[in-house]
Amino acid sequence: MRAIAAAPVEIVLALLALGAGANLARGATPVAASAADDAQWLMPAKDYAATRYSRLADITARNATHLHPVWTFSTGVLAGHEGQPLVVGDTMYVVTPWPNVLYAFDLTREGYPLRWKYRPDVSSNAIGVSCCDTVNRGAFYADGKIIYNLLDGHTVAVDAKTGRELWKTQIADVGSGETVTMAPLVVKDRVIVGASGGEFGIYGWTKGLDLKSGAVVWIARNVGPDADMLAGAGSFKPLYDSGSDLGVRTWTNDGWRTGGAPVWGWISYDPDLGLIYYGTGNAAPYNAEQRLGDNKWTASVLARRPEDGTLVWAYQFTPHDNWDFDATGAMVLADLVIAGKPTRALVHFDKNGFAYTLDRATGRLLVAEPFVAVNWAKSVDLKSGRPLIDPGKQTGASRGTVKGICPCLEGGVSPSSPPAYSPRTHLFYTSTNNLCMDYSATRASYLKGTPFMGINSPYTAGPGGYLGTFMAWDAATGRKVWENKEEFPNWSGALVTAGDVAFYGTLDGWFKSVDAHTGKVLSKFKVGSGVVGNPITYRAPDGKQYVAVYAGIGGDWLLLAGDVRSDDPTDLRAPADYVKDIARHTSAGGMIWIFGL
Amino acid sequence: MSPRTFVALLLAALALSACRQRTAAPAVNATPSPPAVAYEAHVAAGGRIPPGGTLHNPHQGDQAVAASGALLFSAMNCDGCHGPGATGSVGPNLGVGRWRYGGADAEVFMSIYYGRPKGMPAFGGALGEEGVWTLVTYLRSLPRSDNLVTESWEKP
Repeated sequence: MRAIAAAPVEIVLALLALGAGANLARGATPVAASAADDAQWLMPAKDYAATRYSRLADITARNATHLHPVWTFSTGVLAGHEGQPLVVGDTMYVVTPWPNVLYAFDLTREGYPLRWKYRPDVSSNAIGVSCCDTVNRGAFYADGKIIYNLLDGHTVAVDAKTGRELWKTQIADVGSGETVTMAPLVVKDRVIVGASGGEFGIYGWTKGLDLKSGAVVWIARNVGPDADMLAGAGSFKPLYDSGSDLGVRTWTNDGWRTGGAPVWGWISYDPDLGLIYYGTGNAAPYNAEQRLGDNKWTASVLARRPEDGTLVWAYQFTPHDNWDFDATGAMVLADLVIAGKPTRALVHFDKNGFAYTLDRATGRLLVAEPFVAVNWAKSVDLKSGRPLIDPGKQTGASRGTVKGICPCLEGGVSPSSPPAYSPRTHLFYTSTNNLCMDYSATRASYLKGTPFMGINSPYTAGPGGYLGTFMAWDAATGRKVWENKEEFPNWSGALVTAGDVAFYGTLDGWFKSVDAHTGKVLSKFKVGSGVVGNPITYRAPDGKQYVAVYAGIGGDWLLLAGDVRSDDPTDLRAPADYVKDIARHTSAGGMIWIFGL
Repeated sequence: MSPRTFVALLLAALALSACRQRTAAPAVNATPSPPAVAYEAHVAAGGRIPPGGTLHNPHQGDQAVAASGALLFSAMNCDGCHGPGATGSVGPNLGVGRWRYGGADAEVFMSIYYGRPKGMPAFGGALGEEGVWTLVTYLRSLPRSDNLVTESWEKP
């Protein structure tokens, strides 16, 4: 596999970036100019292609052994610290889990004192409607604004300079089971957002807001009639399906009305094709016998036009999801050479354990190979695009307990843990989980504002005596290149740089830098709590390259950990024998860590 | 049977037993139902406990009612947050014997009936008094096995 574009112009770009930084801090430079800017980190995944790759190369495989913490800050919040900071000019921005405080740190002064903090009034009622901890996956910088979502169903735009609230729009309804944990994406004058709630039977959607005013411009459902999905007969061309109203006809009992398809992960954007890409979450309820059929377009990738939401193509990774296999993980856009042919690819590591490489112009499936132990399907047929399912691993209330399904519903990788792609090594880097599950579905009853699930699914360790890895993957061939086995499920996002160093954190609280070619550990440091956030890198006003990451165990891990939401935050309780030692190594507590040479 | 029908039937059955209960013995002390409740475990300024009603669980210790409560715990999706068997998930473990808002029957009743501000929905409207007491009876019947004070990784 080879990438098409990988010009070694890091130094020039870095210098340009430094200059651009000053302008961006004043909100003068348009978003389009920012993707190549490496001193800063302006959007959740660094660039529109969602690569989490930085051209900064001061930190290399040779000197990374000297990495050490240079600054820490407690956020004062105990919930899971997913997501990542932003660096705009000489300011670092951090969004906390509920109550969603936004901190702005002055990177020009010793100790990085706050310029300001913004404390929105976020309803505590949302806590009980968030399925899997009160996480927030980060903010987006555009047009002089820091834009992010509040757990209680609002999007806010805050003046990056002053911290003043510019607009606040209600986008979701907590009373119907909708909360908002995802990071928005800004394309031109649209802010694209979606809602969580696959555990509450929501009617999943994506919305496009006006960047200047926050007004809702378009609403697109992810399931349901073509008219609601903005799927026009002339414009919507799913490669492996045909006919109208697939979002209705692939459901029994009108199940689409409470069918889930939440949007709680990441969105990427191809400016040349003019398309945004995002994954939809699980079908609701977990007892799939209440909704026979493919249940389109749950557990799918959707390609839309950002300006008006028009649906262009869609591909379903897991038809008739009966394992809670959300497809909300990142869609990374990379130009690869596949079987000798230059390809505009989209690469996705799915919860279902397969890594997919698609043609991002059409949605054609090119490669689909398991990246962890998988047994619910034998393989994915490249002609039909459909998985070849093991009937013995199908679940449903009438089947009782179906034992030993791999991977478990936390996924081969959590969608909260986005991968990185280096155009220098042509490899993708990702955390993985090595877990299986027993799945007992029960009949679920829809009661607005309460969970709509019908499931008991205890997890077991996967084969091999380890619970997670950090690995490098060749998406052109669908092959693992190297992997570092970890004692616990691995939950952090990945970062890779032009210094050919990759970064990740572990659930027991080690932050590691590794050689991007071999996986060899170059440095490790025990941070204050387990890592479920995503490292970033930037060049500070002092001219040096730094790496920042959140510590703060939580998120879905909370579901495995049992009672961390009790009155006692120190009670990080092991859910099962296979992972009983986790509480020996970490407890809850959110901190920002910055590392330097 | 659709899920809605199932819940409706369950609630109808509960309502029937509630009628029988009311004629036999009032669930609440001659006050409007449900009344303000005295939280005796609170620290009272000046040592003077504010007046308030007392709620009595009409089914205290009744294993048959506790069994109905276990069904209701699942049917009303309580297990979606508190976990199967109330052992905790995104919501607190309810069997451990440590309570956020008090563990007396009356306090647990108030938590379920009116909800609590950090995300516990109010179920009084959907369930009525009798349904809530059925859940309280179930929760109070749970084994208290999990309340470790010391957790050690050292070999003794």
